[in-house]
Amino acid sequence: MVRLITHNLLACHVKGCTSNNFPLEFKDVQVELRDAEFNSDFLRGFIPKIEWKALVDAARQVGNTSLPLELPEMLDDDFLKSLHHVLLEIHVEEGSMTCPNCHHVYPISNGIPNMLLAEHEIG
Amino acid sequence: MTVQYLFFFAQAHHEFRIPELLSLSKMFGFDLNLPENPEDQDPTRPFLIVGLQCEEHARLLASRSILIKSVYEYYGHGSTYEELHLSNRNNRNKWARYIPDTSFKFIVTAYNHKIPQLRQRDIVESFSYMGFLGKIDMKNPDIVLACFEECKSYIDRHGTTREKHEGDGLFKQVYFGRQVAMGSARSLITMFDVKKRSYYGNTSMEAEISLLMANQTLASPGKVIYDPFMGTGSMAYPTAYFGAQIFGSDIDGRQMRGKGDTPGIIRAATQYGVATRIVDLCTFDITQNPWRCGDLFDAIITDPPYGVRAGAKRLGRKRELSPAKMAAYLEHRASPRPDDQPYIPPTKPYELSRLAVDLVLLSRYLLKPGGRLVFFLPTVTDEYEEVDIYSMLCPGMEVIANSLQDFGSWGRRLVTIQKTVRVTYLPPVVEAQDRPEDQHVPAHKDFREKYFRGFKSKN
Repeated sequence: MVRLITHNLLACHVKGCTSNNFPLEFKDVQVELRDAEFNSDFLRGFIPKIEWKALVDAARQVGNTSLPLELPEMLDDDFLKSLHHVLLEIHVEEGSMTCPNCHHVYPISNGIPNMLLAEHEIG
Repeated sequence: MTVQYLFFFAQAHHEFRIPELLSLSKMFGFDLNLPENPEDQDPTRPFLIVGLQCEEHARLLASRSILIKSVYEYYGHGSTYEELHLSNRNNRNKWARYIPDTSFKFIVTAYNHKIPQLRQRDIVESFSYMGFLGKIDMKNPDIVLACFEECKSYIDRHGTTREKHEGDGLFKQVYFGRQVAMGSARSLITMFDVKKRSYYGNTSMEAEISLLMANQTLASPGKVIYDPFMGTGSMAYPTAYFGAQIFGSDIDGRQMRGKGDTPGIIRAATQYGVATRIVDLCTFDITQNPWRCGDLFDAIITDPPYGVRAGAKRLGRKRELSPAKMAAYLEHRASPRPDDQPYIPPTKPYELSRLAVDLVLLSRYLLKPGGRLVFFLPTVTDEYEEVDIYSMLCPGMEVIANSLQDFGSWGRRLVTIQKTVRVTYLPPVVEAQDRPEDQHVPAHKDFREKYFRGFKSKN
């Protein structure tokens, strides 16, 4: 777990860290690939929520270059298949995510990221 | 033009019955007409006559509803057999097509009673005017006709035995119809039985209620559902089973992980064949959450901890650190020693009525327009007022169902709230300090203290 869909939805939320706090940078990751059910309605519905550049960059960080740099206007089946794979089938099991702004490190263990803040970081 | 169907319900969680029917008809996208007379909607009675557009809709309801035992095409009812036969004759056009050549089986039964066999035979005979020419087939009939007597409840004599056949023939109503479908979703209660689950905890929600909650979320393939107090994932399994994609978070990751490398929730989800629909689990505090944007989820389903077995927590300290201690802490954070244990941030209690208000605000931000928040709220039976629920709402969020599960001196309410506006909200700012108590004080405030006091007043 920590699939790229989730990575695309998580921003650093340390007190005062409000700009350049997304996307978090993967470090020392262990990746596993697992099949997921394909559902094109779900993907089409989710596309408006995606920060496209962040998704393409994150996919590259974990070794996948199948996505185009720009979100295509025509959503054909081949594109949806690669999008499905990138969003839902790549699991980051170990490693960490670092905020590019405040450098808070969010560790990932057994696929669960620890997004808790320290007491000086909460609002 | 609607056709009337007779629904036979399990006599459990009766306040959940109508909300479940309405939710499912909305999910499947068809109309459902409830009886106009409120007395005919009485959920403490096992039968309900519902208007639907076609038989397929009745089958769909029976395939997903947890409380439906069986569904019949309605042919007639009455408080005496004379009345029943009169209305059945008037509905001849509904059953005339089965007269010439349809094999059938006749069931005569009663709710709250057992009809003696001799009288059962007489009852079957009394329908002879229908003149069915097809053969009687007890094993594989083309249609099943069923006649139900709804006997008066003997609650006042609870625990005493009745004489055999005492009160026979004293029924409130008798109903007649043709069987359309048996409620197939009730078997999910056994399938999701917590005792047979590979991972659960002391706060896991019982299977039947978690399935009812899942139906309130309108869970179906392609929907995205979030549980912000994931715990051991009780609500995730049925919602994922119905096809939704699940995100879960909890302030305490140990609840989601359990022992071993594979998180406990993933182990249990694998048992039910839904592991791929658990999209991700994250450890964080919902008052300090990392969601990058709102309008994300079709539903939020949760059972917030209310403090009896486990209390809700949020990040922070009950008492702030003194400046000296804070300086020492910061210094230590800046240069940790290599043999340090991993840092675990301090937490403080999260009072239930605050949590409920914050949860509604957060849901308004995170839900898509039309999305639903479905959650349990414990409450003190004697002190509860309807305003308790309404006082935690904010503009744009409306209560659409509120069903009590009664435990006597306390109970818990399954509240379904819908986001009714298309406005995109900013993330709510959760106030760190308690609000001044100038507002309405709901009965669920300080529920933990009240529970352990045995719901007696302070004095």
